[in-house]
Amino acid sequence: MKKKIAWLCFAAPILFGSQITTTYAATPSDEDKKFEAYREAMADFNPGDFWIEDGEKLFHEKRGPKNVSLDGCDLGLGPGVVKGAYAQLPRYFKDTNRVETLEGRLLGCMVHQQGFNEEEITKPYYASLAEENGTKSDLVELVAYVAAQSNGQPYRVKLENAAEKNAYEMGKYAFYHRMGSMDLACASCHATPGLVLRGVHLPVMTDPATAGKVMTAFPAYVIKDANVRTWFWRNERCLLAMRMPFLKVNSDLDVALHLFQVMEASKTDTPIAVPGIKPRA
Amino acid sequence: MKNNLLNALSVALFATAGLYSAHLLAAGNPAAAGNGDTNITEEQFLKVAKESFPWATPEEFDERVKNDVTLAICNKTNGQPNAAETDVILKFEKSRMEYPKDGKLYGDWKKGQEWAEGAHGGRIGFADADDPAHPNGANCYACHAIDPNFPGAGNMGPSLTNYGKLRGQSEPMIKYTYEKIYDSKALVPCSLMPRYGGKGHLLTAEQVADITAFLLDPASPVNLPAKEAAK
Repeated sequence: MKKKIAWLCFAAPILFGSQITTTYAATPSDEDKKFEAYREAMADFNPGDFWIEDGEKLFHEKRGPKNVSLDGCDLGLGPGVVKGAYAQLPRYFKDTNRVETLEGRLLGCMVHQQGFNEEEITKPYYASLAEENGTKSDLVELVAYVAAQSNGQPYRVKLENAAEKNAYEMGKYAFYHRMGSMDLACASCHATPGLVLRGVHLPVMTDPATAGKVMTAFPAYVIKDANVRTWFWRNERCLLAMRMPFLKVNSDLDVALHLFQVMEASKTDTPIAVPGIKPRA
Repeated sequence: MKNNLLNALSVALFATAGLYSAHLLAAGNPAAAGNGDTNITEEQFLKVAKESFPWATPEEFDERVKNDVTLAICNKTNGQPNAAETDVILKFEKSRMEYPKDGKLYGDWKKGQEWAEGAHGGRIGFADADDPAHPNGANCYACHAIDPNFPGAGNMGPSLTNYGKLRGQSEPMIKYTYEKIYDSKALVPCSLMPRYGGKGHLLTAEQVADITAFLLDPASPVNLPAKEAAK
């Protein structure tokens, strides 16, 4: 299910990535400016594009024990419709009776339509960080491909029924909930402007403009990992820093946190532009 | 003698200012993060959390996901406990306070420097988990400027540069500093600062004493001018 991506050790991450992630700039804004220049230079060569290409092949290929493609997968706009699908997710699905993210929905289609084993796809049991970073997952490729089919569109996620409203409220509750060994909530770092954590500016996810800017870049190619990371993974990394247990992809809390944040992004007209490029994340 | 008096006075002022600020500043303080005004109950949240963190052991779930009495009040009150709730928190947190077995609250500042810089420790999960065999760090620079030569500090907490130079090394100041690091919430009920001491938190009593010395010692870089090269 998972491919090694040793071949992906591009010169770029080695030359630039190590610099960006291991040295401290004089001020955070200097580092941000430096990275902005790097991002521009990378605009025509984003390694994340490989995930999109591979994801497109995977989507249409007949795969799994049931030997079917994902062309029958309904991402909210009808079976197989990928254009604009990411811009309206997460949303409630009748067939699963759940609110689902793009990642969770694709996972469900891989399991229920193609017959893959869910645990095989989502289990986080890597032996080392190198193995984790060096693993290019089918699911993330699929997410990257489908998400890119919303490029140019702003998020327009809506709360239209009780399930969606409840998931949003749960996300809000979790976002403001202090917990973990560090006594922190997501909001402790990401609800007040101007906060810097060990030299890194913290995005204010309760500010629509910032949420729009950050979330339209995910899934993003993360240079520190030389891998593409989804919004699930971005939230999981924060929970890790809070010393919380490992979050399960497609769990109710994954969906709730994603929905709460993307509702802020949906208030803006910032167009989705994936894969973004992030120094770390 | 005069110095001691001044030191005692400054400790008293600090402690009082801390307690007041907990009430006065809570509204504009990120520590005031409450439950964001939802109709979700803690019970509903824990039910969702249980299924969303399937790899947590029961002990990890109790220690990290469930709130203790202090965080439960801080979450419920949006970081602004009333007088009765403040008493409950202070009583609970004071009962958690422990000191090194040898009674020395002022340890080795060089070790303290290492614990202050270190960001290792306490992460659980899989490939990203920290090795519990290695001593934990406190990642103080995540939130505080401390040694002026250390690049990349955070600003979520106040600058601690010149901490000892400004405050002196009196017994009350040592005790205040130790207790603030070991259990910030024994001094300020819903302090944004993590509690570092005690079960489920990152540091041993001895490590807290080391960081206390790192902040206070006149020979520590915290209390010396920044080196030219770092400017």
